[in-house]
Amino acid sequence: MSDTATMAGVSAPEQLTFSFVKRPGLLKITIVSFLLTLITLGFYRFWARTQVRKHIWSSVHINGEPLEYTGTGMELFKGFLVVFFVLILPIAVVTGFVGILYGPESPLLITIQFAVILAIYVLWGFAVYKAWNYKLSRTQWRGIRGALVGPAMTYSLLFFGSLMAKGMSLGWATPVMNTVLQEQITNDMRFGDAAFKFKGRAGPLYPTYALCWFLTLGAIILVTVLASVSAASSPLFSEAFGNQPQNAEQIAGMLIIAAIILFLVFLLLVPMLWAVYTATQMRVFADYTRFDGAPFRLEATTGSIIGLTVVNLLILIFTLGIGWPYINRRIVRYVVERLHLDGKIEIDRISQSKVPLPTRGEGLFDAFDVGGL
Amino acid sequence: MAVAATFFDGETAHDRPVTVERISNELQFSGENTPLTRWSIAGLHPIDPPSPGQPFRLTHDSQKGSRLILRDDAFINDLIASNRALRGGYSFRHLGQVLGWTVGGLAVAVALGWFAMSFLPQQLAHLLPDSWRNRVGEQVISSLVEKARKCETSAATGAWSAMIAKLAEGNSSLPPISVSVYDVPIMNAFAAPGGRIVFTKELLRQAETPDEVVGVLAHEIGHVAHLHPEAQMVRLAGLQILISAISNGGSGEWAGNIAALAAIFRYSRDAEREADEYARSTMAAASIDPMGLKHFFEKVLKLEKGKPDSTQTPSATKPTALEKIGDVFSTHPGTEQRIKDIQPLPTDHVPAKVLSEEQWKALKAVCG
Repeated sequence: MSDTATMAGVSAPEQLTFSFVKRPGLLKITIVSFLLTLITLGFYRFWARTQVRKHIWSSVHINGEPLEYTGTGMELFKGFLVVFFVLILPIAVVTGFVGILYGPESPLLITIQFAVILAIYVLWGFAVYKAWNYKLSRTQWRGIRGALVGPAMTYSLLFFGSLMAKGMSLGWATPVMNTVLQEQITNDMRFGDAAFKFKGRAGPLYPTYALCWFLTLGAIILVTVLASVSAASSPLFSEAFGNQPQNAEQIAGMLIIAAIILFLVFLLLVPMLWAVYTATQMRVFADYTRFDGAPFRLEATTGSIIGLTVVNLLILIFTLGIGWPYINRRIVRYVVERLHLDGKIEIDRISQSKVPLPTRGEGLFDAFDVGGL
Repeated sequence: MAVAATFFDGETAHDRPVTVERISNELQFSGENTPLTRWSIAGLHPIDPPSPGQPFRLTHDSQKGSRLILRDDAFINDLIASNRALRGGYSFRHLGQVLGWTVGGLAVAVALGWFAMSFLPQQLAHLLPDSWRNRVGEQVISSLVEKARKCETSAATGAWSAMIAKLAEGNSSLPPISVSVYDVPIMNAFAAPGGRIVFTKELLRQAETPDEVVGVLAHEIGHVAHLHPEAQMVRLAGLQILISAISNGGSGEWAGNIAALAAIFRYSRDAEREADEYARSTMAAASIDPMGLKHFFEKVLKLEKGKPDSTQTPSATKPTALEKIGDVFSTHPGTEQRIKDIQPLPTDHVPAKVLSEEQWKALKAVCG
């Protein structure tokens, strides 16, 4: 063993450490991207996204060696063009002409629209898988790239099935379906010729899921009861203040404001509640994932996820969306700074991926407008 | 000056320590497991812009998968000083390319848009089946007149037939048409797909002689003969398709929303001129006095000038679809010229009487 290692110049197995090393220049990229996207009526967004990814990827260091993003804006643009001419334009032409020929309420038009919506749901998983495949194939570390080796259709069908199962079970299938989906995509993941493995049951996710589910149900019931009480009581107020209609109006107005505040609190609290589940799922999925035999660990906590999300939302709102590169960087940084790989890897033995490179980028993903990172 | 660096060959993740030296316009490096390699500085590409404290990564045209990682700041600064392209990031060339593509792309889009909007619809209009023309004609009328009552008496129908027959004397290839009157208090007349021509009660009220009505009728038949309404529908359908394609395939509520389309249901100046020409030649051949049409034009123009622009002043009622499509002659600049173009009948022609007194009275009274 030691002989061959010396002969090939291969060093001993190493512990991998992830770190985020901030680079200057994101502000310039953000401003230039915004201006050029504006000037080009949105078409620069493919190049903007590429610039931002290059910047963020370079800030992620593994054992001191930064990641590299090798994608190009032109690849993303080609992906968009293909989806536009193969999917979007034909659908628009067909629905447009059917609408004009047979009227907006014709059964044929409604059938076509239903089919389009169904196709979007079926293709959603396909788009997610292809987008991951593109990003992995354009991500390099030490000159070696990643890949997804499976057929996208399997994941796509599983994804569609999971949507149905989640809906029909009032959400209770979520932990199982998410685990199955994560298993499917992780087991297809490669870095060079080294594989990622995912193995584990959904069981440990259920206590947290049940907690979040029942608390959400409780919140819904509470809001409904309070809303109906205030609605029911407003005529009582008008009666009680029958000779003072101004007072009645004031109180009714206050009740409406109170109901709106309650609803907003509800809208804010429920996603925060679900951050508990998100954090648990992230931790558990990391535990279930191995790279070349070594297990991952992710220190995701509810509080930190809420903090990340709230600040990201504030950035989005106060920069009117222009600050999206910072949001992307914060998300990557969050994961990188909390991710650990426990165990040693024989890095030098990993050789280049033999999987052919996809030639176009994530057009479908872009079309569904779930682009972002 | 030779410095330590790391080399990745793009085949394995193995990091190879090398010693790099810059010799004239080349980088030369070699190491224990790396044979002497020469990379011309002109063929170097930076992976990222150089950043202090960060490794500076290079690749080369001759070995695109390989990476040379430099960490010696002095060496890096010296290298990028010799070749500005190694600074990476944005360059004027990059910005120039973006602008060039944008301007070029816009030019192509505008050219295609012009072709699709001005030339194509008129050609496609001839291909439409009659069933389509009839159905869409009905949809257009019902969305424009909204809930207005349709006025019909057998005497009035006789009057319309008499006028059409009179026009047919001057033009043997008159297209098949059907005329209807709606109880709408706005002075207007329009042609819809399928040879459907609509007059409003207000127009008939304002008309002083049968010659005025027959002139407007001839103008609208001109639109029908040239398939202007059909072409306009194709144009609008194309516009909708374009909009829905740009808005990422949103296939929702817009489809076939003809009432909304009516807002842009205005003919181009060329289409109006074609309809005018059709009306003039048909009337001249049928010996109908075109002064009626001229008089009516002038009346419309006076009304237009007299009333404040409804789009600028807040009016008590919001404009209906019928008002939005523009009035009977789509008054835009050039209306005066169009009026001037109408010449009286030659003196040796005796103007024909279009309607009898009874027919004219019946027509005026069609909506009660």
